[in-house]
Amino acid sequence: MFGAFRASHVNQGGLLWKTPWKLSPTRKANVRARLKKVDSVIEAVRASGVQCHSLDRALELPKEHEMPAKDKYTVFSPHAVGYRKGIHKVPKWTRITQRTNPKGF
Amino acid sequence: MAARICRYSTGPSLSPRLTNLRLISTPPDPSAESSKNTHFKITLRRSAISLGDKKKGTLAALGLHRRNQTVFHPHKPDIAGKILAVKELLEVRNVPASEVRDKLEQRIERKAPKGYQVVGSRMGGMDGV
Repeated sequence: MFGAFRASHVNQGGLLWKTPWKLSPTRKANVRARLKKVDSVIEAVRASGVQCHSLDRALELPKEHEMPAKDKYTVFSPHAVGYRKGIHKVPKWTRITQRTNPKGF
Repeated sequence: MAARICRYSTGPSLSPRLTNLRLISTPPDPSAESSKNTHFKITLRRSAISLGDKKKGTLAALGLHRRNQTVFHPHKPDIAGKILAVKELLEVRNVPASEVRDKLEQRIERKAPKGYQVVGSRMGGMDGV
């Protein structure tokens, strides 16, 4: 039980790095800050007065203050129980936009 | 003789090289130009590492090669499309044409002031040559 050869998750080949199933308040605050930064970029392009298809599509995205907490911190997953999983399980999740759900979810 | 007196005086008579230097490092008066925004000031805040070649290529097309690098582009639909394609990585502001700076001008603006001003030299320096 004790000593250098004690059983542990690591030397039994178990999982060492565990991902929490939900975000901490600090990480959620960071999510909101990142969403606001993306909103400000879209707002700057809108304020410039140019018209293009990509701007129309970007303006369809809900803004940070319009999004429910469910959409800010979780995403749709077809495999998860309840069809939702934490957004931090998505690869590169801090640098991609994932704001809307598939129809019906 | 007149040149010698000039050299010792502390007035505004600088060598032409120094006056040029001072002109470059002085920021332009924002109220002088019209405040109509004509350009995007684009700064790369997050890298596109492992986001795929399309996003990396978009950044290269915008002229962004390293983080915290700033470039200026005119208000045009093709630039707006590129910005929105990588909107998670950038910080964008709209600026008037008078605020547009190229790479060298940005570097000169970043430099700290010397803290002193050369008004002349007892040895004569190079201004007589």
